[in-house]
Amino acid sequence: MTNRKTTWITAVGATLALALGACGGDEPEEANNDGPIVVGISLPLTGDFSEPGKGVQRGYEAWAKITNDKGGLLGRQIELKILDDQSNADRVVADYEQLIGSDQVDIVVGPFSTRLVVPAARVAQEYGMLFVEPAGAAKEVFEQGFKNLFYAAPAVANDHYNHLAEYLLALPEGQKPTTVAYAAMDDPFAQGTAYGLKDKLEAAGVKTVVNEVYPPNTTDFSSIAAKIATSKADMLVGGSQYQDGVNLIVALQQLNYQPKLAAFSTAPTSPEFAAAIGNKTEGILSPTGYTQDAPYESNKEFVEKYTAQFGSPPEEDEANAYTTGQVVAAAITAAGCADQGECQQKLIDWVRTATVDTVVGPLSWDEAGRPKGAHMIQQWVGGEIKIVLPADAKESDLVYPKPAW
Amino acid sequence: MPSGALLFQSVILGLLLGGLYALLAAGLTLYFGIMRVVMIAHSAFLILAAYLAWWSHTELGIDPLLSMLVTVPLFFGCGVLLQRLLLARLRAVTLTMMSVLLTFAIAVVIEGLLGYVFSGTQRRIQLGYGSASLELFGGRIAVVKLIAFGLAGVALAALYLVMKKTTFGWALRATIQHRDAAKLVGIDTDRVAGFGFGLGLATAAIGGTALSLDTTIYPSLHWHWIGPLMAIIVVGGLGSVPGAAAAAMVLGLAQSLLQIELGTTWAQTVFYLALFLTLAIRPQGFFGGRLAQRF
Repeated sequence: MTNRKTTWITAVGATLALALGACGGDEPEEANNDGPIVVGISLPLTGDFSEPGKGVQRGYEAWAKITNDKGGLLGRQIELKILDDQSNADRVVADYEQLIGSDQVDIVVGPFSTRLVVPAARVAQEYGMLFVEPAGAAKEVFEQGFKNLFYAAPAVANDHYNHLAEYLLALPEGQKPTTVAYAAMDDPFAQGTAYGLKDKLEAAGVKTVVNEVYPPNTTDFSSIAAKIATSKADMLVGGSQYQDGVNLIVALQQLNYQPKLAAFSTAPTSPEFAAAIGNKTEGILSPTGYTQDAPYESNKEFVEKYTAQFGSPPEEDEANAYTTGQVVAAAITAAGCADQGECQQKLIDWVRTATVDTVVGPLSWDEAGRPKGAHMIQQWVGGEIKIVLPADAKESDLVYPKPAW
Repeated sequence: MPSGALLFQSVILGLLLGGLYALLAAGLTLYFGIMRVVMIAHSAFLILAAYLAWWSHTELGIDPLLSMLVTVPLFFGCGVLLQRLLLARLRAVTLTMMSVLLTFAIAVVIEGLLGYVFSGTQRRIQLGYGSASLELFGGRIAVVKLIAFGLAGVALAALYLVMKKTTFGWALRATIQHRDAAKLVGIDTDRVAGFGFGLGLATAAIGGTALSLDTTIYPSLHWHWIGPLMAIIVVGGLGSVPGAAAAAMVLGLAQSLLQIELGTTWAQTVFYLALFLTLAIRPQGFFGGRLAQRF
């Protein structure tokens, strides 16, 4: 019953929004030009994704404040209009219809979580709006044929380990790892990271000796660990989120497995990671989309001003939202406009060929909106996590083979 | 063909896992034996005990094993009250059915409260000896798993002695075997049932603590456990603690060995396959217990 009701409301809402949108379109666009640039966003501020959703919100707010403090864009101030989608995929379509159609926002940017990006991008595409988004790394997002979508992060999941793959394949024979064990959560993002590296290593002749997939709720990793430990693989790659990575590492340590290299996605960059595995972190690698220590010019400004505004330094969610803002700002400045209508195509065309300097480094995109970069690789060295790859951003040399854990 | 080392390691892990399963299932089979109660909330109490162990370690800095000094008596008391105040009020005719609903509600309440107090974040106890292990003929035995196994052994042995050697144990077994006859010889079966229920919940306190030593916990984790535990007590024969222990060892070992060929996802199905086969071929269970025939 409730579902049917929601559908009705959505349908009526969408129709109204369309009708209002049609009326709004008749007004002369120049009238807006001295007012603020209104940026419309729908975010999960309540419900399951409220924690990362609020992080993304803070990132956008930091971007608006920092930009406005410097005089705004094209002499206009930025005003955010944020709607709460309550972590509900059904609402996100209605939200963007409302933002574009009835609220007549000048710019829209993406929501949070991969599954909301696709429906939101579809609405934006119907209205011909530029759609830069801070979440949505899974490959499905880029297989929908969107012409207006750009992912504002260094790399899609499968490219996270590219720098590490390059490094390993450049090692002289004899030092190169010859056998690798993979364990990945049954999740498109986590698997994507591990399999991206797997494809590249296998293509270069590095043998896969263990390839395990486990369900997201797994808490007992001892059997997977036993398989990996008895295979004595030179290298271990974990497609992990957080707790699964921690549990797997502890289970491997219990079996006294000592690989030459161990890489895990996401988990090792978490602030609680070291304590969770009893500080036996030495040499663990992780790709990272964002670090406060990244040497890029705008990142220093971002970390400093963000910390002043919110009291603690930004994490990845905040940084991705800020990056989205930077891409949009660069497009607006270059195209010299920020309105619905013809201007949007100018913005899209500009981003398509541009390279934008952001807090996560210079970004550029392919025709489907995939960022062309790779993630930085961090490693636990001397009790701290440090950037080791690529060479031009490194804080420390990569330690290989890794010390015992 | 898996290597000998992997097989040996998997056997060790399977036995350790089976011991833990035996402890976790012991209380569940006891409730059914005493009262024909299907206690869906048993695993929720396990997770509650695990949270209390985690909390006392993180907030008070004491070893999680010491938390049992408080949780075991506390859970015993809870069990007695639960039986006397709630379950004893259910009508005998519909007891088994209604107990599912009642304890389901209790499980949801516990899950909700855990989420409210500790949030949904996954937690893990960080012990100094968390990754320590002993070597045995080339295989490895994790210290925390050995402690959990030891706890299971001690708790089950104590339970066995109580059931076999004490007057209360005799009264409890008499109540399990024939409630009316037990009443006739002068056993206060209501009182005994209450204490029996408390005993079952006390094993949950020990089991939850053992569980917390080497795993991640989160409020909804109990749904993950109740299915396998139910399967174990049916395969073992409803109401039979030794039966549950034997079934737990067999299924734990089977799960561990099947993971080599099938992977984590499919190895879980061993419990449900065993449950299905038991109900089809030998509904009274494979290791004792005749209670299931009464369905």
